[in-house]
Amino acid sequence: MPVTRVLYPLYQLGNPQLRIFRPNWFLTLVRPGKEQPPDTVQFRTPMEMTKCDIKNYLVNIYNVPVGAVRTRIQFGSNKKRNHRNQKIKQPDYKVAYVQLAQGQTFSFPDVFPEKDKTPEEGSMEEMEQKFMEDEKQRQKLDPRRGGVTEWFGL
Amino acid sequence: MAARTRLPLLFPKNLPPFRNQRLAHTEAAVKEPAYPPIIPSLTAKSKSARGRQVDEQVQKICASPVEEKISLITRIQRMKFVVYPQTFARNADTWYQHFTKTAYIPGLPEKYTLSPERDTGGEEEQPAAAQTTVPGVGHDGFTEIRSLVTRVILQEHWQLRNRAPFLYRKQEQTVGPFLRNLVTGLSFSLAKYNPLFLSSSLDIDPNVHFYWRRGQTIIPKGHRRGRQEPTRFQIDDRPNSQIRITEQLPQFISLEDSYAAEVQEVTLSPSVMPLFRRQYDNNMFTGAKLPDPACYGHTQFHLVPDRYHRDRMARLQQSDQVEVFLRANALTSLFAWTGAQAMYQGFWNHEDVTRPFVSQAVITDGKFFSFFCYQLNTVALSVETDANNPRKNLLWGTESLQLYDSVQDGEVVGLNDDVLKLLVQFLMNKQ
Repeated sequence: MPVTRVLYPLYQLGNPQLRIFRPNWFLTLVRPGKEQPPDTVQFRTPMEMTKCDIKNYLVNIYNVPVGAVRTRIQFGSNKKRNHRNQKIKQPDYKVAYVQLAQGQTFSFPDVFPEKDKTPEEGSMEEMEQKFMEDEKQRQKLDPRRGGVTEWFGL
Repeated sequence: MAARTRLPLLFPKNLPPFRNQRLAHTEAAVKEPAYPPIIPSLTAKSKSARGRQVDEQVQKICASPVEEKISLITRIQRMKFVVYPQTFARNADTWYQHFTKTAYIPGLPEKYTLSPERDTGGEEEQPAAAQTTVPGVGHDGFTEIRSLVTRVILQEHWQLRNRAPFLYRKQEQTVGPFLRNLVTGLSFSLAKYNPLFLSSSLDIDPNVHFYWRRGQTIIPKGHRRGRQEPTRFQIDDRPNSQIRITEQLPQFISLEDSYAAEVQEVTLSPSVMPLFRRQYDNNMFTGAKLPDPACYGHTQFHLVPDRYHRDRMARLQQSDQVEVFLRANALTSLFAWTGAQAMYQGFWNHEDVTRPFVSQAVITDGKFFSFFCYQLNTVALSVETDANNPRKNLLWGTESLQLYDSVQDGEVVGLNDDVLKLLVQFLMNKQ
């Protein structure tokens, strides 16, 4: 067959609307590197998703009221080299900044909160910690020597 | 003949010793040592030298005439944020309020809200007629204006047969000419009531530009990395039409009363808004060049383009952004216009305005009219001058008011007299 103009399933005026029922795309919510306004949420999305796709995804699957979506593609560096001096490419990814509608705000939660390190009373951890502290205390030199080592003396 | 004189071996310093004792009872005039003032160097590689260079530049600008002032301030081109009055960005009005140090006050100033009470209080004979008159324009004048407005509406929407507009060109094709005809007709018919219009200038599709600095950022990359840099902004506006007058409009509130207003501060970088940076000529323009006698502004008229029309926003479920858009548009356009007017009078960053500059704007999309009043109290917005500046600029504004419902069978249905009255009052604003 001679090579004719091949048009992929692009949307042309009059086509039925393209619907995807079970998309194979997954969005990742990330903490923004630069400070964003309170109504902006930052996602890492697959490269094939467009702004309209992201909006429809969030509105229809997660019922999130989306105001505006802006995307950019982050180039993954190709500068590092391995032990064979071959260039190693970090993968490219698309970042989407989604502004929420209806005055909603979102702030990225603290995923690794600082925990209190005091162990409970009467547990193994407490006894272990106490034992280690005693050992460290025994290793220290006599404080009356004022920091002088034991090389000298009798 | 030194050998002939009999001089002592030790040559005395005072010779003869008692010659000056005549003046023994007077004290010698004590002259204070006059050293030159200790000022930092001009050419050294130090912060104080840089400070002195900046001071010298500021004094040079203060001492020069207005044309040179403008050219010295806008001489150097650097990357700046371009602020668009009609923007797609969400919640643009809070951002723009921070950039221009403007406080938004909902509703119009007392001048426009108190007059209906004065009308009904004074004329008690015909309360129905009193409601449809404007102080300064009689009942007949108002009916004349109403007929003019109906004529203009019918001209564009009923009598003229336009071909189907191209995509997103409907406002440009229909409402643009409607607004132009309205403004020209109204300014002509109100010239007999408002003497300011006799020597005023009506511009069609003028250019308004303004350039200013506000705030500081740290330069992230480059040979100047880590140092502080002022953020620069530029507004390039194209209102539909504007009226410029020879005398300044009176202020709405005194300068001191603006100290109490609150401006919303935004600590984030403007690029997050989103706002983009470019480098090109820094322009300051009111709509006419410097020697023009009509250098003060009266009213601007803006058109809402198809992209931001309320029907399209309703389709995209962003109806709440319509009012935000109108406010942001009025804020930036009026700030640019009043700022350029102040610039033409010689006020700039380091020489703050001594009197407030006042202008008005009407933004419309054909059916819905919003009225805004702006008072510029300060131009000193950069970091050094803003540190102890309690003055704020003020913007008063209304929600959108519908002028008419529809045009049917050659008749304008539901013409709202209140909106017309407000429009006439706006144009009647004089000394």
